[in-house]
Amino acid sequence: MLSNLGLGMSVALSLQNLLYAFIGCMVGTLIGVLPGIGPVATIAMLLPITFHLPPVAALIMLAGIYYGAQYGGSTTSILVNLPGEASSVVTCIDGYQMARKGRAGAALSISALGSFFAGTVGTLIIVLFAEPLTQMAQKFGPADYCSLMALGLVAAIVLANGSVLKAIAMVFLGLLFGLVGTDVNTGAQRFTFGIPELSDGIDFAPIAMGLFGIAEIVVNLERKMTRSGAIKVTSLWPTREEARRAWPAVIRGTALGAILGVLPGGGPTLGAFSSYTLEKKVSRRPQEFGRGAVEGVAAPESANNAAAQTSFIPMLTLGIPSNAVMALMVGAMIIQGIQPGPEVMTKKPDLFWGMIASMWIGNLMLVIINLPMIGMWVKLLTVPYRFLAPAILLFCAIGAYSLQNSIFHVEQVAIFGVLGYVFVRLGCEGAPFLLGLVLGPQMEEYFRRAMLLSRGDPSVFIQRPISLGLLVTTAILLVLMALPSLRKAREEAFQEEEG
Amino acid sequence: MNRFLSKDFLAGVMFIAFGLTALWFGRDLATGSTVRMGPGYVPHMLSYIMLVLGFLIAVIAMFYGSEPVEAPQLRPIVMVTAGLVAFALLFETTGMFPSLAALVLIASLGGTEFKATEVAANIAVLTVLCILVFKIGLSMNIAVLNGVW
Repeated sequence: MLSNLGLGMSVALSLQNLLYAFIGCMVGTLIGVLPGIGPVATIAMLLPITFHLPPVAALIMLAGIYYGAQYGGSTTSILVNLPGEASSVVTCIDGYQMARKGRAGAALSISALGSFFAGTVGTLIIVLFAEPLTQMAQKFGPADYCSLMALGLVAAIVLANGSVLKAIAMVFLGLLFGLVGTDVNTGAQRFTFGIPELSDGIDFAPIAMGLFGIAEIVVNLERKMTRSGAIKVTSLWPTREEARRAWPAVIRGTALGAILGVLPGGGPTLGAFSSYTLEKKVSRRPQEFGRGAVEGVAAPESANNAAAQTSFIPMLTLGIPSNAVMALMVGAMIIQGIQPGPEVMTKKPDLFWGMIASMWIGNLMLVIINLPMIGMWVKLLTVPYRFLAPAILLFCAIGAYSLQNSIFHVEQVAIFGVLGYVFVRLGCEGAPFLLGLVLGPQMEEYFRRAMLLSRGDPSVFIQRPISLGLLVTTAILLVLMALPSLRKAREEAFQEEEG
Repeated sequence: MNRFLSKDFLAGVMFIAFGLTALWFGRDLATGSTVRMGPGYVPHMLSYIMLVLGFLIAVIAMFYGSEPVEAPQLRPIVMVTAGLVAFALLFETTGMFPSLAALVLIASLGGTEFKATEVAANIAVLTVLCILVFKIGLSMNIAVLNGVW
């Protein structure tokens, strides 16, 4: 294990990769700090800039963008009370109140240091679990994989916001879009409409940019952005009392976030909300929550960062993305010619361990970037949206063009932007669609291979013990969903989130 | 309140439409058998699942109702899309500057506030930035103004 980490460090500490991690963190923070733009939109919009890099550098940079966007989002939440993403919503509650009391600096540094601690623990957990999980995954046959993906998709739906039926339909729609292109087994053209660019499938980046980036800009343009004015940051140092109250919260948040992050469909948002609720329950001063409680900043911020780290575990070891961000990472890996799954660790150890080591380095960089440079980010917050929106659109357009020097990609971004807007208006979640899209082609492959091996006998899925176990879990999840009491609990959980 | 203008009902209709479209355009793909699946097997399966799910969602929405769909504001989405299309059409024929100006101008019209001087300034700043980043920094092979630079 130590030698693995050593290998990872040697890759991540090379000058080139350090540079890309740094650029990723910077650009991620830059976009993430903009109000109303969360990590998914940030990564989607910045996908093109990583395409021409070598795979290791590209993934290191994308991971940097992800953490950067997370950090940037918390800055915006604390200073202007505008969460850039669902996982920062809770930080707003107490963070902004702290800022109004003149403790903005303390809130920012507690959130940054708590996140760094959580990131460190998260990285260690990945190192511990990566090998055993990978070894387990290598025993999987095609039928098992198919069932595992089904479980991943169903779990993602259960934890998704809103109507379950619509989320299921979105997964299937994503699977359908994933079929576009040349059929691998027969070479037949499917849904290509005679457009040569589509014969390799719809490119992932324009879909992600349109669905998440463009649609988000449009939605932001619709609601008038009223600024409450950024708050001045004075001293960054928390008082001794604040530090004493923050530490236990950081540790609890990290533990809870790390566990919830591994669950399919889990990730930062779930971690942040659960840990806030937990803090409120264990606190001796519950009445302070909502009025600037230090714990209310420390716990969710640590939890979302721990979860952001551990949500890499199912993606890196099994190739199953557990949320939209991981689906984007899978898409980026496939574009780089890497099929995510257990083989990545054995066949490309430098990439695997390099990426993990760079996660920790990225977290360290963010603390260094964020705290001293906070003044610069605050300035950026004062730029009106009417300047930013066209600028972001422009970079999306040029980025899409640069993918293959073709305007067809820009047109695709426009089309998927409209589709993404329709999804938002009809209350259909983009995340399940994206999961279906990235898992679709593989799932069809495994399904067809499993059926070929079993000579068309579908009982293969229940005869193999691994597959059976996974399918039973899937079924249990679906049944649980249908239980009225649980459905109510789930709705309540998400109500709090929307409020 | 019209029960057909609810989020869920319209979403159901959308899924049905996608299912029908996929069935129609995939009609020539051979289904094959379960052992040797043709290229059409999975597409057809997914299309039928889409139809069933869309139908269920729409019917449930009709009987139990769902959130009404908010009246969309057309300007932002139309202007953003128009801006992107204009960019796509102009980029290769005229170069980066005209397409950039068109995109920024049209997209700015999609916002609530529009001041000509501000937009002009934005275009100027972004032009310089794009030349520095894409043309000089990343040395991308793009013309700023076709035939000129």
